[in-house]
Parts: sequence; structure tokens; C-alpha cells
Amino acid sequence: MNGDAIIKLRDIAKSYWRETLEIPVLQGIDFDIPQGGYYALMGPSGSGKTTLLNLIAGIDRPTRGSLEVCGYELNDFDDDELAAWRNAHVGFIFQNYNLIPVLTAFENVELPLLLTPMSRRARRARVEEVLSLVNLEDRMLNYPRQLSGGQEQRVAIARAIVGNPDLLVADEPTGALDHQNAEEILNLMERLNTDLGKTILVVTHDPKAAHHARFQIHLDKGVFDKTVEVNR
Amino acid sequence: MIVFGLLGAIFVGYLAWLAWAALAYPIPLSYNLRSLWQRKVATISTAGAIALVVGIFVVVLSLAQGLSKAFVSSGRADQAIVMRSNAQFELNSSIDRGQVRILKVHPLLAKDEIGPLVSAEVVVIKIFQKSDGADTNVTVRGLDPTGIRMRSQVKLVQGRWFRPGLSEVVVPRKMQQRFTGMELGRNLKMGGRDWEVVGVFGGGGSSFDSEIWSDVVDIQQAYKRESFSSVLARLGAPERFNAFKESVEEDKRLKLDTVSEKAYFTELTKSGDPIRILGNLITLILTVGAIFAAMNTMYASVSGRTKEIGTLRAIGFRRREILASFQWESILLCGMGGVIGAFLALFANGIQTGTTSFQTFSDVTFAFTITPVLMLEGVAFSLVMGLLGGFFPAWRASRIPLAEAMKG
Repeated sequence: MNGDAIIKLRDIAKSYWRETLEIPVLQGIDFDIPQGGYYALMGPSGSGKTTLLNLIAGIDRPTRGSLEVCGYELNDFDDDELAAWRNAHVGFIFQNYNLIPVLTAFENVELPLLLTPMSRRARRARVEEVLSLVNLEDRMLNYPRQLSGGQEQRVAIARAIVGNPDLLVADEPTGALDHQNAEEILNLMERLNTDLGKTILVVTHDPKAAHHARFQIHLDKGVFDKTVEVNR
Repeated sequence: MIVFGLLGAIFVGYLAWLAWAALAYPIPLSYNLRSLWQRKVATISTAGAIALVVGIFVVVLSLAQGLSKAFVSSGRADQAIVMRSNAQFELNSSIDRGQVRILKVHPLLAKDEIGPLVSAEVVVIKIFQKSDGADTNVTVRGLDPTGIRMRSQVKLVQGRWFRPGLSEVVVPRKMQQRFTGMELGRNLKMGGRDWEVVGVFGGGGSSFDSEIWSDVVDIQQAYKRESFSSVLARLGAPERFNAFKESVEEDKRLKLDTVSEKAYFTELTKSGDPIRILGNLITLILTVGAIFAAMNTMYASVSGRTKEIGTLRAIGFRRREILASFQWESILLCGMGGVIGAFLALFANGIQTGTTSFQTFSDVTFAFTITPVLMLEGVAFSLVMGLLGGFFPAWRASRIPLAEAMKG
């Protein structure tokens, strides 16, 4: 960790509306996450973990508050700017992998690079590099249905890091995996943090998954509760 | 008018943007093609419906095309038809022998080695039975050998030409396929006489493929006609037509109308209008159905791929890229159907059929004529269906809120 905050949240609130009824999901969230940090967002169901993750990743917008991520105030962006920002700065890892079923592993990983000015040759080289990083260089022409759950998640991780983003966000990344595959994925994520210096923010309610993080941020009923350093 | 202009401009602008998007936007078309293939049943059934509509569309156009070809190929720009004043068609025209004598020595007539190229002809209508048992009017044309020479597209293919005074006829080969009792050597009953079929000719796809020919004097005698229906005159060059027309119309002894043979037959192509209108109406109804089929398929596809759309958006693809991608998917879907339909229509190519001309009240034999241009029109039509049917589902795909799409 180099100490500079890559995520700065100030008085973040998010509400949903059901006709005229305001349903607050997050209220007064304030915290910083330093560059290179590995944080787990924890809390009971309905505590607003995924909503907060979506706000930080530029998928949703806060009702109130300042949200500075990777040096940009996300509230200043329109939809197109936010899309370009996500492509350049955020890698996504989902519980159910979210691979495009009609594309091969190679093509899935290549997707974020299609939005960059990289040449076809440079894209190929980069995709092969990250697929070998997740030990799937021999499965690059396989479709998702031809891969195991663990392999699919590794493809998803390769897709998340292929654009060399500053921040990786993961929503229950091991939720659909058995113990062994889950452990492999968590180890891989840890390596991305320690070896490549990626900032990782993971939403989980699995204590084992949370234990791989350096810090745990606890939410309760949409309110920041505490930050706990993980003892190893 | 302004509203239509605006709508047209929006449509053209949208098409241009889509064409550009296919090149500039990064979601590969292979993604759409494979997505279509993944939903084989829906894709095949929708493409099948589009193919059917496009097939019918092309066949309807080919009917009109065949009919138009039959008439347009019948006329020459350097030949004129002279008829009674205000007579629109040969059937209601009458020219007496004196007028014919004057016309036959007109100085503007072209000549060949035998003499002036001018033919006084008589046209009557006779009812014949078709192969399906239905009766229909058939044009019977009385002419002389010069009249045959002046129709270079007409070729004798079997037997010989008729001889004067022997009550002989020649029939078109295409008519033999559609009518009973027209074989070589058979007798036809016309004007109270038996007429022997002594020859068979091919009209080269012209409207003469729908006429029975015999000697002009024999026809006049059988039908007790003193006069002729028309005079066909060759002028050597199309530029001479105006001078010929002026001289004929200003000659106090004649007072006849003159039209170019090409214009005359072009006017007859209007007999295809009822077919065209009916065909277009059927196509329109089917088109609306096909557009809704495409729309339904695409809506189902969008709702089944909400999470995919969310993933693409999360990765960084913008709304407009999603819109273009799904719009292209719909166009590809309908385009596939269009190509299949255009090729299916080829099965109708060359099939002989006929209709009653509302101008001449007689049967016109013509063939379904499927040309590459018609096939391309059919495919273009299917692309428009894809554009219209796919727009709203594609729009919906691009407007799903990202956080909602991520949930699937």
C-alpha cells in the first residue's frame, strides 16, 4: 500500500424510491481506501454492501455525497464518461462470472480491450499474457460452457485485469464455487494484490473470503460500522 | 409533407449512423451471429417467416415485371400504330380500306427488299378454353407477311406460317402450354369456320405470345369485317415519328390517331396494376406480421440477455453501442430470412401464367421473371423489416438501468 487514497467517500447516501416513499439504503458513508489496499466489505444481507460497491465502481449513482475514485469525482461524469472511466479504471469480478456465453475465453477476455486503441496484435499478446497468468492459456478457445466454475471465474478475473485497471471490485467472487476452487480464486486475487499492486474491494459475507483481505469494512443497515484490520 | 420529410431525414440519418457504427463500434458482429445461432428455434422460425414474406414480395414484383416485360418487349420505338381517332386500343379502332391505301404509300415509311414496311391488321376476340377448364378471351390477329416481318422477336419454331385463303392459324408455343386443343394439326373453331393449326411460334416473351395469328383477309371474311383495326408502320428511325404523326393527323382524308408502338404497349402494362395492387396489399399485411415476429424475437432475446447487456455496459460499452449491436442483430436475423426468401422465389422463375388485360379484355400470357435486381429488392426489404422490428427491442436493451441489468 502506498497510502494515497484511491477511493474517497464523503457523506455518501443512496435511496430508492417506491412512488413517493423514500427507502434509504446507505446513509452518511465516509471512508478512504488507499491505493494497493485489499478490503472486504462485510455486513448482513440488506446492509447495502452491493449498493456501495456499485457506487464505487460507477455502476450506480449516489443520491447525495462526494465519490472520488481513481482521482475522479464520479458525480461529474455523464453516462458515456462514466462508461469510459469504468473501462479504463475498474475491473469487475462477479459471483456468477458473467461471461458472454457465445464468446470464447479469449474473446471474453479481449472484450474490454476492444474499447481501447490497441492493435489486434497487441490485444492478442495481452490477452494471452493474462490468460497464462490465470493458468488458462490452454483453454482460450473454449466457450464458457466447456469450462468448470473455477475456470470460468479465472477467465472473469483475466477479463477484469486485462485492461490493467487500478481497481478490482468483486461481488461474492467465490459464492458459486466449491471450497477448493474458492480457495484458488482467493489466492489468485491475493496475488493480484501483492504481486501486481491492484487495489481490491470485495463484497462478501464469507468469513474465509474476508480473511484474505487486509481490512474489513463493516456496514450495518446502510451505515458505516467499523473498519477492522485482519490478523494473519 | 414536412413531417414526412423530417421522418425520412431521421430514417436516412439513422441508417447512416448504423452503417458507421458497424465499422466504428467495437462489439463484433460475430457476437450477434452466434447469439442468433444460440437461439436456433426462435431464429429459424423468425427467419422462416421473413423468408416467406420476402419470397411472396419478390414473386409479386416478378409478376408485374413479367407482365411489363411482355408488353414493353412487344413495341419498337421506330414503329407507329395508326388507329381511329380517340381509339385507345386496337380492339375499339376501325380504319377503312381507303385510309389503309393512303397509309401504305406514305413517304416516311421504311422499306426493305420486298417493299414498304406497313401492315394493315385486324384484331378480334375469341373465347378459348384453358387447360384448367376455364374460358378466357384470346386475341386473334389477322395480318399479312409484312406484319410478321415487322415483328423480329417472333420466330417460327414448328410447322410453317399460315397461307392466305386456307383458314390456317399459327399459335404461340406458350399458349399451347396453357390452352387445350392447340397442337399442330388440330382445328380451332372461329367465326363459324374450322382453322387448322399449321405452325407454332415463339414471341420472345412479348405480348404476341398471347395472340393467335392468321391471314388478315381470312379473318375479315370470317368475322364479316370490311375495315381494319390498325395499321402498323415502320418509320426507319424513332426521330421520324413526330413528322409521321403530324402528317397523318393533319391529313383530312385520314383523321387518324398515331402512337408509337412502344408507347402503346407501355400503356398496356397498366393491365398489371390490379395484380400489383393486390400483391402489395397482401405483402403489406404479411410484412406487418413479420415485423412483429422479428420484434417479438428480439424482445425475448433482450430480456433473456439482460445480464449480458449489464456486463457489457459494466465493462465500458456505451448505450449507443448496445443499441447498434442489437439493431444489427435484428437486421442480420431478417437479412438471413430475406436472402433465403429471395432464393426461394427463384423456384417461380419462368413459370408461365396469364391474366386478363383490362385494356384489351383478353388473356395475356407472361412468365414470372425473377431478376437479380428483384432479389436484391427483396433482401433490402427484409433489412428494412429488421430495422423496424429491431428498433424498439434494441432501444430497450440500451436503456435498461445498469444496476438493474447487473442483477439479470
